Amino acid sequence: MEKIKEILRRLGYLLSRNRHSRELENEMAFHREMAERAGRPEAKRNFGNTLHLREQAREAWGWTWIDRLIQDLRYATRMLARTPGFTIPAVLVLAIGIGVNVAAFSIFNLIALQPIPLRDPDSLVRLQRRSPEIISGQMPYLTAMFFREHAKTLSAVMTMMGARLEFEDDAQPVRTNFISANFFVELGASAAYGRLLNASDEAANAQPVVVLGHDFWQSHYGGDPSIVGKTIHLNHKQVTVVGIEPYAFPSLNGETADIWLPITQQPYLVEGSALLTDPADGGPSMWGRLAPGVTAKMAEAELLTLTNERRKQYPKDVWKDEYVRSDPASHLHVMEPQMYQAAAIVGALTLLILAVACANLGGLLLARGVAREHELGIRLAIGASRKRIFRQLFTESMLLAFLGSGVGLALAYITIRTVLVTTDAPKWMSAAPDWRVLLFVVGMALVTSLLFGFAPALQMARQKHRRTIARQILIGAQVAASCILLIVASLLVRAVQHALYTSPGFGYEQVISVSPGLGEHGYKPAAAQAYMEQLRIRVLSLPGVTSVALVKLPPLGHGVTRIDTQVNGHPLQIYPNWVDPDFFRTMEVPILLGRNFLPGEKNAAVISQSMARAQWPGENPIGKTYGDKDTVVGVVGNARMNDLNEDDTVEVYSPSQTEDMPGMSLVLKTSGAPDGLTPSLKSIVQNLDPKLFPEITLLKANFRKDMKSVELAALVVSLIGFLAMLLAGVGLLGLVAFTISQRAKEIAIRLALGSPQHKVLSSILGQFSWPVVIGLVLGIGGTAAISQILRRVLYGVSNLDPFSYVSAVLILVAIIAFAALLPARRALRLDVARALHQE
Amino acid sequence: MPMVYTPKENMPKPGMPSGALAMLILRVLNSGSLHGYAIAQRIHVLSSEVLDVEEGSLYPALQKILLKGWASAEWGISETNRKVRFYRLTPAGKKQLEAELQDYDRVTQAIQSVLRTA
Repeated sequence: MEKIKEILRRLGYLLSRNRHSRELENEMAFHREMAERAGRPEAKRNFGNTLHLREQAREAWGWTWIDRLIQDLRYATRMLARTPGFTIPAVLVLAIGIGVNVAAFSIFNLIALQPIPLRDPDSLVRLQRRSPEIISGQMPYLTAMFFREHAKTLSAVMTMMGARLEFEDDAQPVRTNFISANFFVELGASAAYGRLLNASDEAANAQPVVVLGHDFWQSHYGGDPSIVGKTIHLNHKQVTVVGIEPYAFPSLNGETADIWLPITQQPYLVEGSALLTDPADGGPSMWGRLAPGVTAKMAEAELLTLTNERRKQYPKDVWKDEYVRSDPASHLHVMEPQMYQAAAIVGALTLLILAVACANLGGLLLARGVAREHELGIRLAIGASRKRIFRQLFTESMLLAFLGSGVGLALAYITIRTVLVTTDAPKWMSAAPDWRVLLFVVGMALVTSLLFGFAPALQMARQKHRRTIARQILIGAQVAASCILLIVASLLVRAVQHALYTSPGFGYEQVISVSPGLGEHGYKPAAAQAYMEQLRIRVLSLPGVTSVALVKLPPLGHGVTRIDTQVNGHPLQIYPNWVDPDFFRTMEVPILLGRNFLPGEKNAAVISQSMARAQWPGENPIGKTYGDKDTVVGVVGNARMNDLNEDDTVEVYSPSQTEDMPGMSLVLKTSGAPDGLTPSLKSIVQNLDPKLFPEITLLKANFRKDMKSVELAALVVSLIGFLAMLLAGVGLLGLVAFTISQRAKEIAIRLALGSPQHKVLSSILGQFSWPVVIGLVLGIGGTAAISQILRRVLYGVSNLDPFSYVSAVLILVAIIAFAALLPARRALRLDVARALHQE
Repeated sequence: MPMVYTPKENMPKPGMPSGALAMLILRVLNSGSLHGYAIAQRIHVLSSEVLDVEEGSLYPALQKILLKGWASAEWGISETNRKVRFYRLTPAGKKQLEAELQDYDRVTQAIQSVLRTA
C-alpha cells in the first residue's frame, strides 16, 4: 500500500515538476539567508554550487532521466539538422533497409496473421476428405448434408462451389459461387442493398434468386440499387435479384464471385446436374463452424465416426480409411509448411538487406565520429562523464533509427498499396499498418539502433577510433551480405528467365480448348461419347482448324491431378492424363520412342521422357509395365501442361475410354491465329445441345496469365538485387572516402616526396583487401550452403549454377573496385599544399 | 534556541554514516514540526556542534522523506515573516523512526561487542 502511495507521489512530482522546483529553490534560498544571518560560513561557500545542489535534491524525485532524455533528444535533433549531408543519406539508407523488412512482414501479416473480417473467424474450419492415398478438396453434397444433420461438434455447415455461367448474352462467362443458404448469415454479412440469401431460399419450392457481387454490380449496373427486385438471365434461365453483397466482403478462402446463388438452385441453372443427388458427385467445398467449446480435433473425431457409419449405408461411396481433415479458416490462406518456409526465406533475405544497410550506416557514423572529435574532446574536458556522452550518442542513433523507421514505414505503405492494386487483391485488405506491423516497426527501430549505434558510440566515447578493425569488419560484413543477396538474386532471375523462355514442351499459341461440361449436365458415358464424336467432326470442318483431339485435363486449365509417389527412393510427381490418339499431334508433343496409341486401345501407357529416365534409368521403357496393368508403348517429349512452374514433373498418358467421356474436353489447333473462333465453337456446342454452356479458352491467354506472376517475381527479385548493389556500393564509397580524408596529410606528403602513385594507393587501400576477400568467400560459401533451401523455387536452375555465381561475384567486384578507386583517384590528384595546410 | 557563533576549531569533521541523516531528521521532527534550516540547526546544536548538516545533503534527504511519506510538508510563516515549508512527522514516519532506532541500536551494540572483546 505504501509503495503505491509512494508511486503516486512520484507521479505527482513528475506532473508538477516546475512548481516543486521553484518551491525547492525558495526553500534553499531561505536556508542560506538564515545561515548568513547566523554568520555561518556555508552561506558564502555554497554560492557557486546552488544549481548543483538543487539538481541533487531533485534527483531524489527519480525523474531526472526524463529531463536528460529530452535534453539528449533536443541536442541530437540539432546535430542531425546541422549536417544534412550525413542525415539525409543515413535516413534513406535506414528507410530502405527497414522499409523492405516492414513490407515483407506486412504482406506476411495480411496473408497469415490478420484474421479475415468475418464473424468469429477462429471457429471457422475447412473440412476436406482424405485417405492415406487420396487428397481431395471436394465433398459430395449429400455427404455434407449428412454431416450437417448429424454432427454435434459443428454448429453450422456451409458449402460453396464455384462455376461459370453465362450472363444474359455476354460472351464472357461470369464467376459464380453456389453457396448454402446459411453462408452469409453464418459469416455475419449484411447486404449493401436488399437482402442476402437466407434459409428460406433453400425451401423446396423456393424461387430462384441471386445476390450480385458488389464489384459486378458497380461495373454492370453502375451501382444502381433499382436492380434489386428485377430479373436477370443466367444460362438463359430467369433469376430474381434480391440483394447486393456488402462492399469488400472477404468470403471464405478468398473466393469472391460476381454472382451468388443458392446451391439448391444449381440443377435449375445447370440442366441435368446430379450435384444434389449423386453421392459420388464431388462438387462443393465444405466449411464448418465449431460449436462453442469444441476443438478441431474433437470435430475431426466425430466426423470420422460419422464417416465410418456412413460406410455401412453407402459402402461404395466411402473410401477405405477415409477421414475428414480440418484446417483453420481464419486467415486468407491455410498455411502449409512450405509457405512458412518460403516466408522464412524472404524474411532472411530482407534481414540481409537490413544488415547491409546497418553496416553502411555504421561506416557513415564512424566517419562522422572523426569530425566530432573536437566537440567530444571539449565535452570530456569540461567534465562530462563518459557514460553521459555515450548515452547521448546512443540517443542520437536511436533518433536516427526512429526517423529511418518512420520513412521506412511510409515507403512500405506505398509499396504494399501498389502491390494490392496491381495484384487485384481482395478489397478487405488494406495497406494501413495494424498493431502487429507497428510493433514490428518499433522493434526494428530498436534493433537497428542497437546494431549500428552501439559500436560507433562506444568508439567515440572512448576516443579510440584510430584502430581500423571496426572499419574492416564493417566492410567485410557489407561485402558478405551483398554477395549473398546478389548471388541469390541472380539465381532467381536465371530461374525466372528459364521458366519464361524455355519451351514448355507443347504448342499453345494456336490451340483452343473447349470444355462442354457434359458430366455436369448429367451425360452418361455412351451419350457423351456420341456427343464428342459429333463435336469433333463439326469442329474439324471449321475453316482454319487443322487438328482436333480429346483430353480429360485440358492443358493450362483448372483441373489438376497429381500422383505423388516414390521411385527408387526419389520422390516423383506424376501428372496423369487421359487422351485420344490425336492429342500428341494437336499439342505438338513429339513422339520420341515407340508409337502412339491405337484407336480403342486399352491398358497402354505413353510416358514422358522424364518419366522414362526416372523409372527406368538407362533402359528402354517400351514394353515395361506401368502401374498394375498398363504396358508402355511410347515415349514423348516432356510437356509441362498442367503445372508450368514445376520443372521436375513427369507425365503419363492413358488412352481415353468411354467411361471418361463425360469429363472430356476438346482441344483444337488452328493454322493461323486462333482469335475469333470462339463464337463459332460456342454455337457448334449449343447446336448439338442447347443446354450446354461450354468453357472456351485460348491457351495462349492462360499462358500469359501464368507467366505474369513469374515476371512479377523476377522484377521484385531484380529490384532487391539492385538495392543491395546500390547500398553496398554507396557504403564502400563512403568508407573509402572517409579513410582517405583521414590520411590526406600522409598521402600528400608521400606524393610530394615522390612516391609512385600505385604504392600510395596500395598502402591506403591495403587495409581493405583482406576484408573484401574474406567477405566474398563468406558470401559465396554462405550462399552455397543455404541454397539447398532455394531448390524449390529454382525451376530448372541448379542451386550451384556457376553462371549465376560468377556473374554476381564479378558485378560485386566491379562495384567494389569502382567504389574504392573513385575516391582514391581523387585523392591522388590532391593539391599537396592545400592538403598540408588543412588542419 | 540561541544561535551562538562558536569559532570552529581546525579539526577534521567526522563523516556522518549515510543512513543516519534520515533517522536524525525524523527524530528531530518527533518533537514538533520545523522548517529545513531549523532542522539542520537543531541537529548541529544537539550534537554539540559535531554534526554539520550541509544543504547538499539535507534537502535531498528531506525530499526522499517526503516521497516515502514519512513526513508531510505544510506552509507556514517563519520567524522572519517568510513563507516557508514546515515538515511534520506522519504516523508512518513515526513507525519508520522506531524501526530505524531499533536497527541502529542493534548494529551499534554488535559493533561495540566486537570492539570490546576482539
